Amino acid sequence: MDKKPSHARTVIAYIVLIILTFLCLFFFYILLINCTRSHAQIQHGFSALPGSSFAKNFNNVIHDAKLPVLSGIKNSLIVSTFCAILATYFSALTAYGLYAYNFKLKKPAFIFIMLILVMPTQVSAMGFINVITKMGMLNTLYPLILPSIAAPAVFYFMYSYMQSSLPLELVEAARVDGSNEFMTFNRVVLPIMKPALAVQAIFAFVQNWNNYFLPALILQDNSKRTLPILIAMLRSADFLKFDMGKVYMLITLAIVPIIIVYIALSKYIVAGVALGGVKE
Amino acid sequence: MAGITFKNVVKTYDNGVTVVPDLNLEIKDKEFVVLVGPSGCGKSTTLRMIAGLESITSGELYIGDKLMNAVAPKNRNIAMVFQNYALYPHLTVYKNMTFALELAKVPKDEMNRRVQWAAEILGLEPYLDRKPKALSGGQRQRVALGRAMVREPEVFLLDEPLSNLDAKLRTEMRSQITKLHKKLGTTFVYVTHDQTEAMTMGDRICVMKDGVIQQFDTPQNLYDHPCNLFVAGFIGSPQMNFIDAQVKKADGGYALCFGDVEIVVNKPELAAYEGKTVVCGIRPEDFHAEQQFFGSGNVMNAYIDLDEMMGSESYLYLEYAGQKLIARVPARYAKKAEENIELAADVEKIHLFDKETELAI
Ligand SMILES: Nc1ncnc2c1ncn2[C@@H]1O[C@H](COP(=O)(O)OP(=O)(O)O)[C@@H](O)[C@H]1O
Ligand SMILES: [Mg+2]
Repeated sequence: MDKKPSHARTVIAYIVLIILTFLCLFFFYILLINCTRSHAQIQHGFSALPGSSFAKNFNNVIHDAKLPVLSGIKNSLIVSTFCAILATYFSALTAYGLYAYNFKLKKPAFIFIMLILVMPTQVSAMGFINVITKMGMLNTLYPLILPSIAAPAVFYFMYSYMQSSLPLELVEAARVDGSNEFMTFNRVVLPIMKPALAVQAIFAFVQNWNNYFLPALILQDNSKRTLPILIAMLRSADFLKFDMGKVYMLITLAIVPIIIVYIALSKYIVAGVALGGVKE
Repeated sequence: MAGITFKNVVKTYDNGVTVVPDLNLEIKDKEFVVLVGPSGCGKSTTLRMIAGLESITSGELYIGDKLMNAVAPKNRNIAMVFQNYALYPHLTVYKNMTFALELAKVPKDEMNRRVQWAAEILGLEPYLDRKPKALSGGQRQRVALGRAMVREPEVFLLDEPLSNLDAKLRTEMRSQITKLHKKLGTTFVYVTHDQTEAMTMGDRICVMKDGVIQQFDTPQNLYDHPCNLFVAGFIGSPQMNFIDAQVKKADGGYALCFGDVEIVVNKPELAAYEGKTVVCGIRPEDFHAEQQFFGSGNVMNAYIDLDEMMGSESYLYLEYAGQKLIARVPARYAKKAEENIELAADVEKIHLFDKETELAI
């Protein structure tokens, strides 16, 4: 085998990658450009250069009396942040329970969780709404937050990660060192799980940030609504008042926090934190 | 203060396999006991029962005079060094060592003092701020030891702690651990499959096979008086030679006959074996090429298959009367491969075993 990478192949690889990158980033670019242009300009057609209506669009979005954007951002942040924390922490805890302990119903428990994983939200949504109505939680944020404690997909990810990166010897070492089970989880297991927690936190955050289906069913007050609902409301607004610049601005506002969260956590997504402690 | 006592301890794993059928063992306070045996014989299981990491199926385990069967590992005041070190990868060396102390709410300056003390003994001072992955194998091993030391536990458990190190480092760490034991004056239970480690480190050695204790004695006694074929073959390197020999009545005792050799030993116990075959165990160094050992009947003319020159002495791989033997003779008496050599056995040092029960006669 020729070890030198062939020149032609490198060139082709780069071209393909550049095209892919372009396809991925192009629409973000359009979005960012369009949020600086006025409705008329946008309707006029595509432009590669930014316009001058950024401040105007921004003001329009923020100061729309019928559209509580600020409280929408706040609600979305609350829901997404708590969901990310709860989903990752409790999924890791569940996965740890099934990974590190031996008990009679271990296998059935695992299968049960996997079955929930394949159940779509839409199937159980009506029953869910019923329950939370009876519990008096309709039109609050709790029903969006609390269920993320049970997140089968996150659980499965944590479980796989533990199998590859959490030697049980570490847990035993902690036990011998005088740590109780809960402390072992918080002080030894969680830090080792950091990369997995970061990845799942991002996913959970983004998923809940974009979630439209359940919030649309549950949240009725304008002041309780989350961003995706507000975006939908704006897009379906009165044709006469319809302002594309405003729509683009609101979408931009909705995307920025996700990018920030991603950048903040991406440094943890480095595999191999567990390497070194246990020699393979 | 903290000896360890096993009383009829049985360990059956969840899959129904009984790994330790009936263990009775008494380890004294401050003693260095080595559990040795081939891989899979239940050494780790035994050690982990002391630590509380494995439940005890039946029987009783005492540390000191306290029954430990139902005591959680964290309340046993033991420290354990794992084969793979099991250092906390996210903590620095210092934090690895203080992990247990923080949990035990040891005051900060006391904690510092102990870490300093351990780091000094183990030569870890320059590495206290490093994470485990930035350390070499030997350094990680020492951190694992240090983490156990600072605890000042009643019992030290070590499960094959040196098996991941290279040969030179292993020898070095062997003596470090022995010194450490002297310095700490704590009970040590050390698991290994390596008989050299066992012989050089243990005050007493417990030889195990299939979960059953074969012999529990000092290294010297194990070597000089192995109680059965297994112990005889396991302890000592190169291995003891086992030769099938006929027992015949002779002047001054009984003669052990194989090939042209007839060695007369003065052992009345052999009366019951007259006319039968026994296993004759002779250690490689108990074959001699010097004239003064030669006696009537006690000379064998053996063919040298292969010779390994070790410098001061030579290992000769011999063939005699259809059996393969190893002799260890001083270099100046040794001969080369494909030659013949005359050797005599040291009559005083011949071990005899029953062929059926494999027990020493
Ligand atoms: N958790 C377990 N479940 C079932 N069998 C086990 C378990 N751990 C060890 N064993 C078995 O017990 C026997 C002894 O194991 P171990 O104590 O680790 O041996 P050693 O340390 O002497 O090599 C082995 O045959 C092993 O397969
Ligand atoms: Mg073992």
